[in-house]
Amino acid sequence: MEIDKMLGELKDVMVERLKFEPSRLPELSLDTVLPKGIEGSLGLDSLDFIELSIGIEERFGFVIDETQDLDAHFQTLGTLIEYIRSRSVDR
Amino acid sequence: MTSSIDEAARRWYSHPYNRPDFYRLAAGLSWLPRRLRLALARHIGRLAPSLMPAERAAVRKTMTRFTGATGSELDSLTVRVFTNFAMCFSDLVSTNRQPATRLPSHVGTVEGIERLATLSGGLISLTAHVGNWELAGRLLAGKSARPTHVVVAPDEARELHRWVRRDGEGVRFVSRSSPTVSLQLLAALRRGEVIGVQGDRALGTRGDVEVPFFGRPAPFPLGPFLLASAVGVPLLPAFCLLDAHHRYVVKVAEPLTARRGEEEEAARGWVAALEAIVREYPTQWFNFFDIWDPFDR
Repeated sequence: MEIDKMLGELKDVMVERLKFEPSRLPELSLDTVLPKGIEGSLGLDSLDFIELSIGIEERFGFVIDETQDLDAHFQTLGTLIEYIRSRSVDR
Repeated sequence: MTSSIDEAARRWYSHPYNRPDFYRLAAGLSWLPRRLRLALARHIGRLAPSLMPAERAAVRKTMTRFTGATGSELDSLTVRVFTNFAMCFSDLVSTNRQPATRLPSHVGTVEGIERLATLSGGLISLTAHVGNWELAGRLLAGKSARPTHVVVAPDEARELHRWVRRDGEGVRFVSRSSPTVSLQLLAALRRGEVIGVQGDRALGTRGDVEVPFFGRPAPFPLGPFLLASAVGVPLLPAFCLLDAHHRYVVKVAEPLTARRGEEEEAARGWVAALEAIVREYPTQWFNFFDIWDPFDR
């Protein structure tokens, strides 16, 4: 799947699962930082990450069950897309 | 989505015991025979109310609501909270650190442990700051034969880790300092592992829910129930309390189910189980603040 299309799909997940305001979608890019506590981030908290991961599993059809290194994958929308692509290749 | 939270403002759960000096002192006495060590802990505990007036006031208020006691009875209950805490604290840094094979020798009664055997796959073990909660987690980890991840609050002093948080023997401590910790927990549950978490201290975020506790609404964390519903795993309330002979009583309550959209109902079931335990052991409730209004500090 192309990166632009995956970014669009992720934006859909954020609107549907995280109640992200649709009018703010143009602000999102591959460099958008996700976790709270980082300057300029979207401020996602632990509950948001639960919703986001469930949404990704449903949308992209794989189960997130790794033992480690998940933090790095969920840092930005760009790293998240790379992770989803790597999992899609695995399947 | 929430904005960043000022963690400094969330330190309401801290108390004067939570300092490395106290842990060092208590651990330094671990060579004493347990009976003598607990007697010393009780003596120190009896002095504590006069040294910690804010905590004493909070405990009196809590005991009043839990028991309806007044006057000298209330005074006695208040002191017992501190002496019980001192004994459990002493065990926390000594008895709890013994090899897993020796821990059952400190347990007198076990109720409901068969419920654990009926549950396969991922599981959330839910406990509270009641009795020796950390020992409950270690004992259950030994019984479940599955890796157990214990979720802990970010400590004010990292140094405290060395006294109480000993990874190994199937137990791993996970700090909730990072918001992405929930991803690790989800993945662990999917692998059929166990998450141990305390469900009595609200976080002061949108992830709290008000539930009646001893007749008055109090905030409790909803996170464990959202996690359970996301993965479809049960929650198992478990407690470890000190009996009159200073042995531990392990109580495992009925498992709870949190279905999607029904997480608050599951939280009410948890608080009911917690209230039943606290009604039975009011002086082993170790939250030294106003549980009904925790952020007014």
